[in-house]
Amino acid sequence: MVDAAPWWAVVTAPVLLAAFALCAIGYDAVLAAREAARPIRMTTPARPLLEVPRLLVSQPRRLPAPDALLWRTGVITVPVAAVLSTAVIPFGHVVVADLPVGVVWFNAMEVLTWAGLWMAGWGPNAVFSLVGGYRYVAQGLAYELPLMFALMTPAIRAQSLRVGDIAAAQSQVWFAVWMPVAFVVYLAGVLAFSFLGPFSYPVGQDIAGGLLGEASGVDRLLLSAGRWLLLAAGSAMAVPLFLGGGAGPVLPAWTWSAIKTLAVLALLVWVRRRLPVIRADRYVELAWVVLIPLTVLQALVPALVVLGGGR
Amino acid sequence: MDLTAVLLKAVAARPRVLVTTLPGATPVRLAAERHLRSRDLPRAVTPADADVLLVAGTHDPGLEAALERLWQDMPAPRFRAHAASAGDVAAAIETACSHLADPSEQRAHERGGRSLPGEDQGGHDAPDHASPEGRAGDHSGQGGGGMAMPAGLPMAAQGPDRDGLMLDQLHVALGPLLADWPEGLILRLTLQGDVIQRAELSLPAPRRPPSAVPFWTEPWARAAAGEQVHAAEAARRRAAGHLDSMGRFLAVAGWQAAATTARRLRDELLGGAGAASVRPAAERFARQVGRSRTLSWLTRGLGRLSSADAVAAGIRGPAARADGDVPARYRLWLTAALEDLDRLEDRRLLDPAREEPPRGRLGGPPSPSTGLAGALPRLLEGAELGAARLIVASLDPDPDEWVAQPVESAHG
Repeated sequence: MVDAAPWWAVVTAPVLLAAFALCAIGYDAVLAAREAARPIRMTTPARPLLEVPRLLVSQPRRLPAPDALLWRTGVITVPVAAVLSTAVIPFGHVVVADLPVGVVWFNAMEVLTWAGLWMAGWGPNAVFSLVGGYRYVAQGLAYELPLMFALMTPAIRAQSLRVGDIAAAQSQVWFAVWMPVAFVVYLAGVLAFSFLGPFSYPVGQDIAGGLLGEASGVDRLLLSAGRWLLLAAGSAMAVPLFLGGGAGPVLPAWTWSAIKTLAVLALLVWVRRRLPVIRADRYVELAWVVLIPLTVLQALVPALVVLGGGR
Repeated sequence: MDLTAVLLKAVAARPRVLVTTLPGATPVRLAAERHLRSRDLPRAVTPADADVLLVAGTHDPGLEAALERLWQDMPAPRFRAHAASAGDVAAAIETACSHLADPSEQRAHERGGRSLPGEDQGGHDAPDHASPEGRAGDHSGQGGGGMAMPAGLPMAAQGPDRDGLMLDQLHVALGPLLADWPEGLILRLTLQGDVIQRAELSLPAPRRPPSAVPFWTEPWARAAAGEQVHAAEAARRRAAGHLDSMGRFLAVAGWQAAATTARRLRDELLGGAGAASVRPAAERFARQVGRSRTLSWLTRGLGRLSSADAVAAGIRGPAARADGDVPARYRLWLTAALEDLDRLEDRRLLDPAREEPPRGRLGGPPSPSTGLAGALPRLLEGAELGAARLIVASLDPDPDEWVAQPVESAHG
């Protein structure tokens, strides 16, 4: 089903990821313009991109006694993890690295952002930046376990950790249909690890921007870009895990992958604007008392089906 | 054309603006928020992210040092603009953009215009616009003995916490200048972990000579002075005032979209829109926010203030009537705003003794906002840092009332 990668896939994957992230940013800008009752013009979706030159020309800030090495490492980790996570995501029939443990690789890259953001919060040696860092870890404590169960559920049904096999196992019915809990928890997890919308607690306005509070210039650019790249990577991964991968009538597989990814992205961007920021202390309660039992039960369903010999 | 010039042009096309309102300058702030929203110029939350520092209002000696720190903390390219009145805002932003696009000027900033924050002021602090004193680095009672401390910063001292453990104490000041914060208010917090152990309050003193009548109570002040003011005008101002408070609260709660809607409705009302055009959108907004389970789940139980305690603290307005926690207060704002929308055609004359301004009846000192601020330390102690800003925003004291002379003494 999934072909080994031609050499150019290594270059295309990050470009494609960036293109999806740009689409999400553009859609977000259109929604923002509508809320603010601004006329929507051709330039509206592109206006946020002016941030790129703005941050490139911005002077780096010097702070007293920062841990520059940790800070830089953390900042770079976030977009790098997002790009690396796409290595196992098939686009149409092409995947950069068809690892037999693809799901684990994706999860590992996403957990790498924990370390990255904690270091990015610690590095500047400033109160609210540090608060932002530990807020991310607290949030991680809440979202990560339900997310892992949600990732596991399709893998159990497909009896494989290879992402291509999981996509192929949905030839009858999409996993999103009969694993709705896992699907919803996964989507919440995507917003959480890209700390956007209801999960932007680590960069909350109430702590003066938190993780982003001290970052200016290229640091800020990398962190902000990292968020949207993570969102795009998470949306792209939802397609083979829950939405049947590149399968679809008439059109070639890669177009179906693109359409489904954009649909998931649009949904997440829309949700992001619909909800207030969820405080981690309250979300932990919900996650551990409600979501973990629910996702365990959800994982039990395909496990029983597989044990019962259902193919 | 060199590359820097091209990049600076991009900066000038969409600079991030840090709006800093001096107490007494609410009309300027409203004009600035409206202007930035319509031109799609995003507001910065911290100096690190700002290109333009827009100072709204007239010179305030008490905040000069804090403003200077903000300016020092901003990376180049940057520009400091000033708008003394609401009419100056557009021109000030225009000037700022043209200066940002000027490579020679911005290079000069980069070379010499900036000192390292902390080097000259001895201590690094919270990223936001911290106060001139009480920085994160200024720990009371230094620990660490004769050890060489990184960058000369003292170590944290320890103290017993509420569970009887010995924990580090961190001193963080909120204010006097923060995004979506009552400007001039300083809360000096002693934190252990995430929990506020102690909160000390300080407010700006009334100005000499006193500044203008607070914007939100202006119709009442005019009526008290004997002018004929229609109840409709007061209702309009009060509804807009509640929506302004909602906007700030929602921004702090991290619900940007709803905050934008609240501010847009506020500006429509202040711009003189009729009830028929505002009402449907306002009802939709009130339904969406008032019934949001997420928002009430996140703020439930925070900052509980009973009517009796509120009255004892000198609070006379909706915060006293709400008789409850943060959700009770924002829901009361919403219902009050909707009720006022029904009265936009009310041709009767305003009786200042019967109707209250957004934050409660005016009447000799202390002003309603002084009462609101006075209740803060008790509400904050024991709360978590994340809750502190929400509690402050749910009371939303008006800085204008602190610096203005109380109405009664002004008019005998």
